[in-house]
Amino acid sequence: MTPTYMNIMLAFTISLLGMLTYRSHLVASLLCLEGMMMSLFIMATLTASNTHFPLANIMPIILLVFAACETAVGLALLISISNTYGLDYVHNLNLLQC
Amino acid sequence: MAYILFTLSVLLVMGFVGFSSKPSPIYGGLALIISGVVGCVIVLNCGGVYMGLMMFLVYLGGMMVVFGYTTAMAIEEYPETWGSGLEVLGGLLVGLMMEVMLVLWVLSLDEAVVVVVGFSDTGDWVIFEGEGSGLIRGDSIGAGALYDYGRWLVVVAGWTLFVGVYVVIEIVRGN
Repeated sequence: MTPTYMNIMLAFTISLLGMLTYRSHLVASLLCLEGMMMSLFIMATLTASNTHFPLANIMPIILLVFAACETAVGLALLISISNTYGLDYVHNLNLLQC
Repeated sequence: MAYILFTLSVLLVMGFVGFSSKPSPIYGGLALIISGVVGCVIVLNCGGVYMGLMMFLVYLGGMMVVFGYTTAMAIEEYPETWGSGLEVLGGLLVGLMMEVMLVLWVLSLDEAVVVVVGFSDTGDWVIFEGEGSGLIRGDSIGAGALYDYGRWLVVVAGWTLFVGVYVVIEIVRGN
């Protein structure tokens, strides 16, 4: 495992930690989700290029397609939250009182 | 420059720390765009020309633009940047310091130490072309195989995108 792979896996872990911790905005966690998808895309493309297996480039392309769908649904939820509460603060989401 | 790929991956991690330390989302989007550019150059350095172009077009040009104006809709009056407040600055500095110490540790490994991670016989990757038709090889042939071997996958992904658009419309409609 070369140091570049180690850095990309570290970038994925940092994004994962950023997504799991909430501060005030909800869209910041969606950004960290996008970062996770991007690091997975980079790692899959590098693996496909370095093992000389170009057929494996299908996987990052399809990953990008489904990440785009997920982003769209996440942003739609954000917009509906923002329409109800004015901003996308996380402490506004208190309907489930437990 | 010998270790250009390693340097770019270090810059990628620093960009990721920049938006994972959770500033206001408009600054997080900026850090994600910079990280995306660095990641695309990493992909280009390893010979993935088509994948790098697709990442620029689809990811940065499509999804980040959508993130940009959605964030502009749901933002407060005084967005907090990396320098305002101790939480964001502390997270950023801890992440950068972790990366710097990791880089120093990796650079200090020599050939006598058998570790999983080392610089002993890597350097930068070199892409061997080989013989054969050398004009349209590389990443494009893999993306072209998506429409040949992966016909059903293309149909499923296209249908998923249609259903995704319908789901978005239903969510945003509200009542």
